[in-house]
Amino acid sequence: MAPTAPTQRPTMRHSSAFLLPSTAPSSPAPGPDDAAVALVVLNQPLPRFAPLLWSRAAVRVCADGGANRVFDGMPALLPGQDPDEVRASYKPDVIKGDMDSVRPEVKEHYSNLGTRIVDESHDQDTTDLHKCIAFIAENYSATNKSNLSILVLGALGGRFDHEMGNINVLHLFPSINIVLLSDDCLIFLLSKMHTHEIHVEKSIEGPHCGLIPIGMPSTSTTTTGLRWNLDNTSMSFGGLISTSNIVEEDKVTVTSDSDLIWTTSLRK
Amino acid sequence: MLWRAVRSMDVIMHSSSFLLPKLYQPVNKPVKNYALVVLNQHLPRFMPRLWDHANLKICADGGANHIFDEMYQITNDEDKKSTRNKYVPEIIEGDMDSIRPEVKLFYSSQGSKISDKSHNQETTDLHKCISRIHHCTPDDEKPNLCVLVTGALGGRFDHEAANINVLYLFSDMRIVLLSDDCLIRLLPRTHRHELYIESSVEGPHCGLFPVGAPSTSTTTTGLKWNLSESKMRFGSMISTSNIVQSEKVTVESDADLLWTISLRNLT
Repeated sequence: MAPTAPTQRPTMRHSSAFLLPSTAPSSPAPGPDDAAVALVVLNQPLPRFAPLLWSRAAVRVCADGGANRVFDGMPALLPGQDPDEVRASYKPDVIKGDMDSVRPEVKEHYSNLGTRIVDESHDQDTTDLHKCIAFIAENYSATNKSNLSILVLGALGGRFDHEMGNINVLHLFPSINIVLLSDDCLIFLLSKMHTHEIHVEKSIEGPHCGLIPIGMPSTSTTTTGLRWNLDNTSMSFGGLISTSNIVEEDKVTVTSDSDLIWTTSLRK
Repeated sequence: MLWRAVRSMDVIMHSSSFLLPKLYQPVNKPVKNYALVVLNQHLPRFMPRLWDHANLKICADGGANHIFDEMYQITNDEDKKSTRNKYVPEIIEGDMDSIRPEVKLFYSSQGSKISDKSHNQETTDLHKCISRIHHCTPDDEKPNLCVLVTGALGGRFDHEAANINVLYLFSDMRIVLLSDDCLIRLLPRTHRHELYIESSVEGPHCGLFPVGAPSTSTTTTGLKWNLSESKMRFGSMISTSNIVQSEKVTVESDADLLWTISLRNLT
């Protein structure tokens, strides 16, 4: 099949407005009111902005030991509040996965509060994140899935095979907006099937950014809005990849013949 | 010279014996030479044993801050000053925008060579350190040299990707990226690989990833879910959460692969 010419590809818009403390009227991208946010918490320490994203989310899913992290970590991130109240109000809608990490007392605590427990221990073929994404995609009833953003905490760092498996989930669900977040950065997939417009929220992200061809070299990538733009440039491991780049404009555009991982640093 | 009708691929043997408390020297094998590069992130718990095994220690810029601040906490030495005097890198290399002035002054006064590369903004700190080691090591000594790197994983994702790319750019060198949780190595497609597993310090979780380009044929032995001329590709199947089941794992592939294995609690 001949590759689609860049001008024929539909445009996909990306915005990190969900990280803003309150709806910023100046944001040109679709605001948080237009987008539905789902939150997935994996089994690593929570980033400092976890309470903010929790409050933004329409549905919250803990993957197995992610429930331990919410139970232990949320009160620590909200020191001004009573820990028992935090544990009661920051309650996941679903705990899903193979249940080999979630502590029994944590599972019971949330189950008593109404959290749905979905035991997938029979399915060892897919990762916890994959199960959660598939679950949200199946259960999300919006007519337009392009408004759905799935934010994932705890997918980066830790065991490298877990991180690679989590990045592979981005490749396996290229038409869903999935953002992996850590304290230091966020990443998402730019599918080769689209031209991408990335609206950068400079108050919270940047200035550092990168474009990384994971899994396949790119023979031609073109960008605008970066300090070192690419112009039909080839990228590959063993050759050039775009790291420690700088976001210059509020809007960055990317077109590529290959799936790319986009990353921006997050301001402290 | 003997001419073989069927040329078999050269083998590279890998071992994580540098993670053992004491290095052992196998009989009839050349002495392994370790270099250590410390990047700008928190030190792993087992840093003292890496430091003890390495003949050359290089701090990349802010890595020196971490050695200065954290070594005595890890070793639990009561005397902070004598610990600082004990763990002095031979070289501090990089663009010097992260190292604190008092740290630079201390190590300089202790004899560390300060290699200021701030004029060179094209390459990462790790690239500069590996490039220096690559340049200073004769070709015939490269197979015996293993460069251990801490602080390359986690943190900013573009830094992690750039650090992984250094493995590809210097694929003729043995470089191991280490964190508290795991290690990663590049297995170039030009060779068959034999990985000797030190099960007291590593495993059981492992994985193989075609990060640069897909593999149309990868074959392994020694894993719970072995690959047999299998295809691997991001967007399809990659080998994660595999399990090491033998003391020796072999890997042969038509693509460069990243190997990872989890580390046991080494304190």
